[in-house]
Amino acid sequence: MHHSKTTVLALVLLASVLLAACAPAAQPVEIIKTVQVEVTKMVQGTPQVEVQVITATPEMKPTDLPAGSVTINGAGATFPLPVYTEWNYAFQYVDPAVVINYQGIGSGGGKKGIIDRTIDYAGSDSLLKDEEYEKGGDLQMLPILAGAVVPIYNIEGVTKTLTLDANTLAGIYSGAIKNWNDEAIQALNPELAAQLPDKAITAVHRSDGSGTTEIFTKFLAAANEAWKAAPGAGSAIEWPVDKAGNGIGGKGNQGVAVNVLNTKNSIGYVELSYALANKIAFAQMVNASGQPVKADADSLASAIADFSSAFTDKLTTDIVNGSGAGSWPIAGYTYIILHMNSMEDCLKAQKVVEYLKWALTDPAAAGRAADLGYTVLPSAVQEKVLAKLAEVTCNGQPVLTK
Amino acid sequence: MITNQASANSLPLIRPEINYSRRKLANKLMLSFTGLLTLAALAPLVWIIGFVAIKGSQTITWAFFTQLPRPLGMAGGGVLNAIEGTLILTIIAAFFAIPPGILAAIYVADHPNTPLGASVRFSTDVLSGVPSIIVGLFGYALVVKTQGHYSALAGGLALAIIMFPIIVRTTEEMIKLTPRNLREGSLALGAPEWKTYLSVILPAAIKGIITGILLAVARASGETAPLLFTALGNERYEIGQIISSGIRSRQGVWSIFNRIIEQPVDSLPLTLFKYSQQPYPERVNQAWAAALVLIGIILALNIIARLWVNYSSSNLKGK
Amino acid sequence: MQPIQMRAVSLNTSSLSYKIRKQLRYGDKPWSGLLIGMAGLVVLLMFAIGLLIWNGSAEARLQAGLAFILPTLDASWNPITENYQAWPFIYGTLATSISALAIALPISLGIAVFLSELCPEWLRQPLGWMVELLAAIPSVIYGLWGIYIFLPQIVAPLGSLMSEVFGSLPALGLLFSGSIPESGQSRLAAALILSIMITPTIAAVTRDVLLAISSSQREAAFALGSTQWETIWQVLLPYGLSGILGAVILGLGRALGETMAVTMVIGNSIEGSASLLRPGYTMSSVIANEFAEAYNAMHTSALIYVSVILFILSVLINILARLMVWRVARQTPQEARA
Repeated sequence: MHHSKTTVLALVLLASVLLAACAPAAQPVEIIKTVQVEVTKMVQGTPQVEVQVITATPEMKPTDLPAGSVTINGAGATFPLPVYTEWNYAFQYVDPAVVINYQGIGSGGGKKGIIDRTIDYAGSDSLLKDEEYEKGGDLQMLPILAGAVVPIYNIEGVTKTLTLDANTLAGIYSGAIKNWNDEAIQALNPELAAQLPDKAITAVHRSDGSGTTEIFTKFLAAANEAWKAAPGAGSAIEWPVDKAGNGIGGKGNQGVAVNVLNTKNSIGYVELSYALANKIAFAQMVNASGQPVKADADSLASAIADFSSAFTDKLTTDIVNGSGAGSWPIAGYTYIILHMNSMEDCLKAQKVVEYLKWALTDPAAAGRAADLGYTVLPSAVQEKVLAKLAEVTCNGQPVLTK
Repeated sequence: MITNQASANSLPLIRPEINYSRRKLANKLMLSFTGLLTLAALAPLVWIIGFVAIKGSQTITWAFFTQLPRPLGMAGGGVLNAIEGTLILTIIAAFFAIPPGILAAIYVADHPNTPLGASVRFSTDVLSGVPSIIVGLFGYALVVKTQGHYSALAGGLALAIIMFPIIVRTTEEMIKLTPRNLREGSLALGAPEWKTYLSVILPAAIKGIITGILLAVARASGETAPLLFTALGNERYEIGQIISSGIRSRQGVWSIFNRIIEQPVDSLPLTLFKYSQQPYPERVNQAWAAALVLIGIILALNIIARLWVNYSSSNLKGK
Repeated sequence: MQPIQMRAVSLNTSSLSYKIRKQLRYGDKPWSGLLIGMAGLVVLLMFAIGLLIWNGSAEARLQAGLAFILPTLDASWNPITENYQAWPFIYGTLATSISALAIALPISLGIAVFLSELCPEWLRQPLGWMVELLAAIPSVIYGLWGIYIFLPQIVAPLGSLMSEVFGSLPALGLLFSGSIPESGQSRLAAALILSIMITPTIAAVTRDVLLAISSSQREAAFALGSTQWETIWQVLLPYGLSGILGAVILGLGRALGETMAVTMVIGNSIEGSASLLRPGYTMSSVIANEFAEAYNAMHTSALIYVSVILFILSVLINILARLMVWRVARQTPQEARA
């Protein structure tokens, strides 16, 4: 029994050694003269594939790499995850050689990964700090999408849409405004004043650090002086409403949504796509110019437009509390982080940049993002980003040749 | 609650029948109480599994098992990448945790009072309390950062660290409970230590050891947090594809093997967690289905391992 | 003990190669070398992890010092002003883990006793599988089942009941003061779910321990006239105490380190109340929640400092358990110990 087992094992080892030794060296890649490329257009979420035959000219870089031979790993923010997943899936039809794998482990994980060079690109809602720029060397943040954060609510007996503003939100989350029938809320909602119950408000916030919280608290800090002093803005803060005994922390956007759905007379804040997908009532906001606005693609576009010249040289900006008449006040960009000059694998660098350029310029990609509740960049901002992408170099050579 | 012998003896010597009937009553009560407790413990199990089964079975199709994920709005799509990832991670974790774990347990069972033996016990107890996210961090610092990329190997190592204390502890206890005369008899017949252990003691303790291994595997395959920092996740991981494309492009066995373990991988709990955090109801439904698949795999593993142990030990009993 | 020579007798017994071959054939030295190596690996692992978190927490330790862990009624955890006090998390971890253990221990012992002593043979395997299956359920599922079903239907009503019954008692009332939130998220919820999660570990290992005790112990007890329960309680459980304690430590370890399920049901709120019925926070939860998106390097360092405290807490509990076992073992007769 033992002997035969040992023999079998030895034979297997021998066979694998021989196989490995005898495998021929990788064949030199043939440059294909004509290429059949399947191009996918996403129509209502269903890819429609059409086959194009392209003849390679000497100037063109043909798709001569075997399918799936270049793997690109990205990680970071969960906020744009639904869009990135779709884009990654569609891109395998645009360039079959490339496999893009993006995972939503959180902006912090993404930033850490790109600094440690364990991933090829990162997604992040929160901005890099100075010390992180130093550690990373040549990191660049590129805005890719913008999204809205909306206040969701669950009030007994209230059927119409609630209207809130920065001061009432700040009051609720600091524990100053305790009940739903508080005067400040009634003042903003004259038709609902009778329906608002005399019950305590349970304020649900995020328990995990997140870009959503950062956008929300940045808005409160920008629009309300008291909030700016304390507790301030950040991806994870100390919520005064907890001390007051009326706060609950939910894990993830989904956690907040479920909490609000299950708790009567509660309020929370989530990304717009969560409110839309779960069909939760979300409030209108009175923005900086005094107008009540609803969160949708137009108000988001207006918010972006308010700050289109406010970019720092690092291509970052906050877009909260915009002054336009139709601007949604609680909005934020989500960014991609890249190494500008020091990526080691030039083929990967080229493919990442081509992917980003495709994502920014392809109309089907933009349409899919809009379907999911996000807004792509307006052309003014898009040009800036594309200009930056053209500056990416590898081994001294610019990566984007087209 | 229960009288010990001393106080029972100090009772006035009333008719022994009354004392005895009191004890009999206590006996019946406590024993039926344990039956009730078992039922109470199984109630949540039935509830949870029922909940998962009802919600998950709506979304389970053949495609679920055999296809890679697809975007929302597209029909079909599955979690094949996660199923394969779970299997690969579990195999790697078992490979790194079981042999060293059993060997370390043998050492501790043999030399419980030496400094090293005491430290090993201490270490396993402490290790079992380390939060899984810290284990993930450790795996990141040790493997991911040094290699420069996320991989199944890193994830498997992190899971192995989680499995380790359970295996060591249970194996040690089971070895200690084997009768001394087994060991002494084997040594008396001239067998060397290693043969004694491998052929006599471990088979005698195998049932308990398998329990420990199964508990450890069940725990490790249900973990999410450590994999966030080590295996990352990968929607396009498919072993069949890797092997066939490797064969087609004439890569060697070692290089194909490398590509299997050196890529980021997904796992069922990781996929389940990701999907459950997304707003779209289709994804949340898929999360439940993935949970059902995971529970099914673990149950199958359990049953197979137990049946195998029963079969092989019933062979031994005849001798 | 004369080794039996199976080969031909013409050997040069003083040559080096003979000596080496003899060692390798019996393999004792390499074997014990291997064992020592693996044992050393375990200890090395603990030190390596300890070192990692000690280094990672250096910044926070320098800044916050011991004030980090002192009990305080007005604790603050503010990444923006860099004011960190971990007492609410320490209390949360202790409260939920100890409560979970208090609930799980009798249940697990009951299950183990039932499975090993009372259960009919044909039922033992399937029931055993079912108990072990509880261990296979991923913690995310426990969390989801918790927030969707268990908390609204069981925990919230139970919590209101408890606050009525126990809330007004003098000392115990502190633990049950306040009212449970409507969603049921509270330390109580975390303790209950944790107890379900650790029961399979404790029960399965204890069952195996009891099954492994040789029948001579049981027969001796019966011969002396004990009932079955008295045998179990007074003979078998003490005999297997070391194994049972091992099971308990494993279960407790799981409870201390559990993140996903707890964070979904505990409410994640720092309230300053000691009540089991109010939302709380545990050390593992705060690490799991805030680590991936930590605000800055000091925040990360503070979170790693929390894990150092958890580590040390684990060590202390283990030392305590060892002391207890040592004291009990002293009283048990020597022959009974394996």
